[in-house]
Amino acid sequence: MSTALFSTDALYEAVGRRWTEARAAVSDLAPLLRFRGAGLRGRSRPFAVLGLALMLAVTVLAAWMPAYFPEGDQRRTDVLSLLPAGLFGVLIIAIISAAASGGGRELMPRDQAVAFPISPTTDHLGALLMAPLNIAWLLQSWAMLGAVAYVGGASAGLIMSQALIVLWLITATAIAQVVGWGVEWLRRGPGGLWLTRGLMSLTALVGAYLIAADKFVPLLENSPTFNVAVASLQAVSGPSVLYGEVALVLVLVLFLAVTGGALVARGVSRRPARDVVRLETSTHQSRPIPAGDISALMRTDRVGIWRSVPLRRGLGVLAIMPGLVAIAGSLEWDMLTILPGLVASGGALLFGVNSWCLDGRGALWRDSLPVDPRLVFASRVLVLVEVLLVATAGTVVLASLRAGLPTGGELAAVASCAVVVVLQVVSASMRWSVRRPFAVDLRSSRATPAPPLVMVGYSSRLALSTTTVGIFFSVLAHFSWEWSVLCAVPFAMFSAYRLVRTGSVWADPVVRSHVVATVAS
Amino acid sequence: MSPPLVEVQALHVRFGQVDAVRGISFTVEPGAATALLGRNGAGKSTTMRVLAGVIPPTDGLVAVAGHNLRTDTLAVKRLTGYCPDVGGLVPRATPWEHLQLAARLRRLTDWEDRARELLERFDLGAASHRVTAGFSHGMGRRMSVILAAFHQPRVLLLDEPFDGVDPLGVEATMDVVADARARGAAVLVSTHLRELAVEVCQDAIVLRGGAAVAALPAQDMTGERGAGVYRSLLD
Repeated sequence: MSTALFSTDALYEAVGRRWTEARAAVSDLAPLLRFRGAGLRGRSRPFAVLGLALMLAVTVLAAWMPAYFPEGDQRRTDVLSLLPAGLFGVLIIAIISAAASGGGRELMPRDQAVAFPISPTTDHLGALLMAPLNIAWLLQSWAMLGAVAYVGGASAGLIMSQALIVLWLITATAIAQVVGWGVEWLRRGPGGLWLTRGLMSLTALVGAYLIAADKFVPLLENSPTFNVAVASLQAVSGPSVLYGEVALVLVLVLFLAVTGGALVARGVSRRPARDVVRLETSTHQSRPIPAGDISALMRTDRVGIWRSVPLRRGLGVLAIMPGLVAIAGSLEWDMLTILPGLVASGGALLFGVNSWCLDGRGALWRDSLPVDPRLVFASRVLVLVEVLLVATAGTVVLASLRAGLPTGGELAAVASCAVVVVLQVVSASMRWSVRRPFAVDLRSSRATPAPPLVMVGYSSRLALSTTTVGIFFSVLAHFSWEWSVLCAVPFAMFSAYRLVRTGSVWADPVVRSHVVATVAS
Repeated sequence: MSPPLVEVQALHVRFGQVDAVRGISFTVEPGAATALLGRNGAGKSTTMRVLAGVIPPTDGLVAVAGHNLRTDTLAVKRLTGYCPDVGGLVPRATPWEHLQLAARLRRLTDWEDRARELLERFDLGAASHRVTAGFSHGMGRRMSVILAAFHQPRVLLLDEPFDGVDPLGVEATMDVVADARARGAAVLVSTHLRELAVEVCQDAIVLRGGAAVAALPAQDMTGERGAGVYRSLLD
């Protein structure tokens, strides 16, 4: 038998094996999705169906309604010029999200998945399916579809235009997934932590240079997404050669990204999560015993956050990324009022919306300690406020570097807005934490504090309320500082009132036992 | 005869439509150790959680050293030490930080030497400043027993303390129970391991479907004859 023939046979065999594996991975997705769906009980099931229907409805509306908006040539030109940058922005945000979450969200939580033979390919495909269940992804997608509809106008060709944009959104998500797995593979390798930190620093430096040299926006405008935008808009008046070429390239890239992602995911699964292992076996020298009960409780609550790899990483990204985006976009002080809501909501979505899960299985023991439950509640609230304020301050300070010196009114508006949205977010988070606890193991950077659909609901509500407050204070930034402070008082008092009310619910032993038993299970 | 330290009368615990505990009654005297035995879902852990003040009783009376659990939960929590059946440790805190929190909230002074002695006895001295998330199951169980016992509670509640614990850990747990009994504390041990339960306790209560089906001296459940008795009570 010749070596050549043997090699060909081996190649066929390997390809056949991979093909069988890929088919098995795809067919495993359906039962896993059914399993996750079966976890929805009682009122959750109709709510989930309603949520999905709502998302679909908003998507259709976003892709169609703006086509009928009143004419305005200058505005349309502005939106058109921003379209390539916006499409490229989708890719950048998706990459950051996938890299920060260690390769994307899990279709099935790690502690539940150990009982099933889930292949890395299934895991990869599951993460791809989970990616759109994220308010940031949805908002960007709606914005892009809306922009194309607005610029393209109402015509039968709009369907083809939007089809290309949807193809780009899927392709960008798949590319981001490969990069996310790649970063995780690097992070888990020898010296990976320093390598990824170095890589991130280098990226930040390049970004800073591009911004300082005013090359960032032109780069976005001339990105490969320029062709996607042009091809998409050409389709409004009928099929074009460019459309066909771009669609073909996107399908090819999508195929490569999906298959490549599966290969890198396999590589990741063979490497232990070094940073998680390092932190879980880390030692911490004892400090003096805290002077008061509240400080003792807060110390324990703090370690639950700062010694968790995914929470530290997530808070780090939140404290830096919005600030960098603000620098890149040269945001003025009156627009910085949008940032606190973004950071506070993001921080709460890391763990705050299910904050009792930080105690994990220690919740039962903690609840057996002789301490007023209201004090335990107060400690959790204070730590949450503290963490979100620190992250918010980080991003605002960063964003302010290019915004120049603020007026008293602008400074007061940003500071008041930060306090208001942090209290607002903490109040909502604590309410949800008590009302709907989930048993979640937040050791994995891919874990979320609640099931994906619930997270979409939480993030939508937080985004809506904090953005509204941000816009309100953005207007107040143009008035004297007293107005912002005065307007912040009723907002803060309302959140405080709701916190006190939730604290009383938590103090009820029946409610508390349900929360504790759930998060400890 | 001293009044009982633990008094449970007609305890009922209901979760939605499920009756987890249906009318259990028993007492535990000072210096006595009672084992709660039964199959999974018999109501052992729920009873222990009620006594620890973690789950409120739906109906019935639960008193610890004369304090009604329903009206004076904090006093009961001060008097008890609880090792839960699952986990029991805050994942990212170290054993020493657990002990500091408990010492602070229980108003303990000069507790460090006893804490160190217990950590050494349970072979956790070297891991006392290590994050517990990386602990093995057995290490976690041993640490939970330390947390339940180190403040020398008047009522020691150990739920599955021997589960997955090595022989040295079992021995140390037995010493802790013996120490507690010697200083007049009441001990309740919930376990699936009948042989260990009868070795460490002098009374046993067998639960089935949330109700007590037998209360008998632990020695009646030793050996092969005891195994037969226990087996017959489970069906």
